[in-house]
Amino acid sequence: MTKFVVRRILQAIPTLFGISLLVYAIMLATPGGPVAALTFSPTVTPQERAALAAQLGVNDPYPVQYLRWLLGDDWMRFDSDGDGISDTAYLIPLDADGDGEPEPPGRRRGILRGDFGSSFFHGKRHVVDVIFERLGATFELGIASLVVGLTIGIPVGVLAAVNRGGYFDNFTRVMAVVFNALPSFWLGLLLLLVFGGTGLGLLPMGNRCGIVLVGGCPPFYERLEYLFLPTFVIAVGGVAAYSRFMRASLLDVSGQDYIRTARAKGLSGRMVWFRHGLRNALIPIATLLGPTVTGVLSGAAITEQVFSWPGVGRLVVSSITQKDYPTVMAVVMFAAIATILGYLLSDMLYALIDPRIRLR
Amino acid sequence: MKFALRVTLVLVVLCMSSLSAMAQEGGIVVRGNAGADPTAFDPLLINETVTSDIHALIFPDLLSVDPATASIVNGPGPNALATGWELSEDGLTYTFSLREDMYWTDGEQIDADDVMFVWDFIQSGAVPTHLSFVADEIANVEKIDNFTIAVSFAEADCDAINSIGSLEPYPSHIAPEDLTTMPDQEFNQNLYVSSGPYTFGEVRPAESISLLANPDYVDAEMGFVNNDAFVLLNVPDLTVMVERFLAGELSIISGPQEARRAEIYAAEEEGRVQIYTYPGNSWDYLAFNLADPANPQNATDEDGNAIDQGMHPVFGSTEVGRDVRRALNLALDVDDIIERATFGEGTRMASHLVPASWAFDPTIEPIPSDPALAAQMLTDAGWVNSDPDDPSSVRVCQGCATAEDGTEMRFVLNTNEENARRTAIITIAQESWDKIGVKADIQTLEWGSYREALLSQTLDAYVIGWRNGYPDRPDATQLFTPASDVVGGCSNCMSYDNPEFTAINEQARILPGCSIDERKALYAEAQRIIQADTPYIFMFVRNGFYAAGSEVNGFDPFPSQMLWNVDTWSIAQ
Repeated sequence: MTKFVVRRILQAIPTLFGISLLVYAIMLATPGGPVAALTFSPTVTPQERAALAAQLGVNDPYPVQYLRWLLGDDWMRFDSDGDGISDTAYLIPLDADGDGEPEPPGRRRGILRGDFGSSFFHGKRHVVDVIFERLGATFELGIASLVVGLTIGIPVGVLAAVNRGGYFDNFTRVMAVVFNALPSFWLGLLLLLVFGGTGLGLLPMGNRCGIVLVGGCPPFYERLEYLFLPTFVIAVGGVAAYSRFMRASLLDVSGQDYIRTARAKGLSGRMVWFRHGLRNALIPIATLLGPTVTGVLSGAAITEQVFSWPGVGRLVVSSITQKDYPTVMAVVMFAAIATILGYLLSDMLYALIDPRIRLR
Repeated sequence: MKFALRVTLVLVVLCMSSLSAMAQEGGIVVRGNAGADPTAFDPLLINETVTSDIHALIFPDLLSVDPATASIVNGPGPNALATGWELSEDGLTYTFSLREDMYWTDGEQIDADDVMFVWDFIQSGAVPTHLSFVADEIANVEKIDNFTIAVSFAEADCDAINSIGSLEPYPSHIAPEDLTTMPDQEFNQNLYVSSGPYTFGEVRPAESISLLANPDYVDAEMGFVNNDAFVLLNVPDLTVMVERFLAGELSIISGPQEARRAEIYAAEEEGRVQIYTYPGNSWDYLAFNLADPANPQNATDEDGNAIDQGMHPVFGSTEVGRDVRRALNLALDVDDIIERATFGEGTRMASHLVPASWAFDPTIEPIPSDPALAAQMLTDAGWVNSDPDDPSSVRVCQGCATAEDGTEMRFVLNTNEENARRTAIITIAQESWDKIGVKADIQTLEWGSYREALLSQTLDAYVIGWRNGYPDRPDATQLFTPASDVVGGCSNCMSYDNPEFTAINEQARILPGCSIDERKALYAEAQRIIQADTPYIFMFVRNGFYAAGSEVNGFDPFPSQMLWNVDTWSIAQ
């Protein structure tokens, strides 16, 4: 098992490298940039724009920008004689904004040395801090929708399998297609209009909690009404997926020899389905949980946007719009690592649950 | 004795009841914020709409402003540090007396050092700031004593007082020695020292920013701030903002989408909402590029010498192609555009000055709609229909002044895709021009891309808008002079350059004595020139619109100042 885990982690390194290269290239290829976003005012002079671009390093050649993100820039421009003024530079100019003065020494260390950089926005704070302050909200919504999806989806799938071909099975099959096909932004807005203040007025129209002046939101169980709609929107897809998985898995198991044996022993249908069938049918579902749980990290961008939910998904949307490269890259890398770990966890779970599987 | 006791008792009760009547009524004022979180908070480093709103509520001004007229007043005023000024005989130096009863929330007195710091910071150039323009306009700021400062100018400037207003006091005692570290200071994230009706409360990223009533606010109209707090609540977009306002989750809203205003009017009729409308200060226009978009150049080189910018193959340059641009203007029915794009919530403009401006000349009529005349003018200008029997066939150059013969009259018309109003404008313009053989390919760009394309000066024609500040400043140096025509950093991005206009605009700005009537006459002339040159098709100013829930007591806005008396507001529970 250890050998397997080490090998998978080593295999993940080129994958992560490829992801980072691809995303960085796509991001830089999109038109627009952070300097225009930060200085779009008639009172800002071209010189100030140039100074800001030099400070952010966004005018450097693309490969240099990627290298800075990867390896930092404290070796690209530095002060060799200790007088506090940069005097040596590699790959980037000493005087990047052309004002006749050298730029300050580079301070970034790059992600390979654990420095994900500072956001161009968000008060130029470290992106890890910016992401971590959003993680709580994303986890809360993600876990809630996962729990709802599983607790409804699995029983529905079981009942559909037990009543294969019956009204309930057909009904859930149709509903699964409908739920999967519903765009979350549309469903979200519809629910807001129906249940929100301008409709039935039963539920709040967004945010994570009501107005709080200081001290943050109260515990989640005191503000369940805020969780209800966004959880529902995300969970409907989960209900559809888990119910179909469960149904297919249970039907697959029902054709196995040990089920026939159980029936031949004269066990009741309930015992056959739930004691022998269900436990084995849950194995694929359990292994599905690994990537699902870690996928929660990356947030549900559209749902968070519609419901003003202050999570990571919304952060990504605004960061892409603002061209906040460090934040986008950090979220993508976290999500990529989480996904790889999720699949690794999934394989390990599979081996742990199913004794027939051996990891090598 | 009994009578005396009764009288005493009645008096006590009356006193108690009057005391309770003077107690804070409370409530939380909630306003929506449809934008992203503020980038930062330090007032010297950031000037986004949302941060400007916050700064206005928690920091003092230097100068007093009359909320009714939005003009700067030579005298004391609430939350203003200066009590007035004296102007030197040569008109170049303003000497301000400062109040001695204003304190920061940490107990430090606000004095001349807090104004001087701002000037020193701007001059240092240590960190890019939106206030850098002040250094171009003000020659020097001098501290006379702790409560007197003198601001001087190199030349008399009728708008000088507006520049001085930008020197708003800053808590200099908490500033770092090394000014380059200001963006990294805690103050840039948490405005823990302030002085205004509110103090900084808490930032909940992507959720809300709370400001708490300042119990020590010295200029409170009622002796205290009448509500508990002011909260900026994050909402995903303007549509949801209107929904949440109508649902009672937001106390106030300003400038809602025109398409949703009918619902708010309906809520007013039901008694759920209070509305205030006024002539607005945000205006939309359609601009023509008057230089070669394939080879964008600055207007002048480093020595101030003019650079040949070429001309646009359809729109020409400032001097060439006026008839074509006017014809394109005549081909549009702007009143119809107002009706269809803003649901009638716009007021027609004739020039670059909004109708509410003191310098606006009402005798200048907007260019009317006359498609037949437009077609004839294009033909006369050498742009003829490719099929003489089909007036909508594409026009081609046959002796036109801006392109080679055979060039088709085609161009791309851009706007930002998130803006439904502007998207409607370019769609209607395309339809109208198509009927007379002018082919505009419309293209919408995401805001970031659009912004970049605008600054690069590579667009043919585009629709965008300006928002005038208050107090009104009719000076057009930023909009229409070569000084603002710099590739990558322009506000005169279409390269308009008429020396006559530039001279008149400058003359109006530095007119000796600053006579309002004489300046109005000069600005009227400038308006006529700009209309004749038609670098823009002036569209409309959006009607201003403020609304508050019926539970908001004290809502009494002026055009530029919805929140001027917010310290007296209370929210009925």
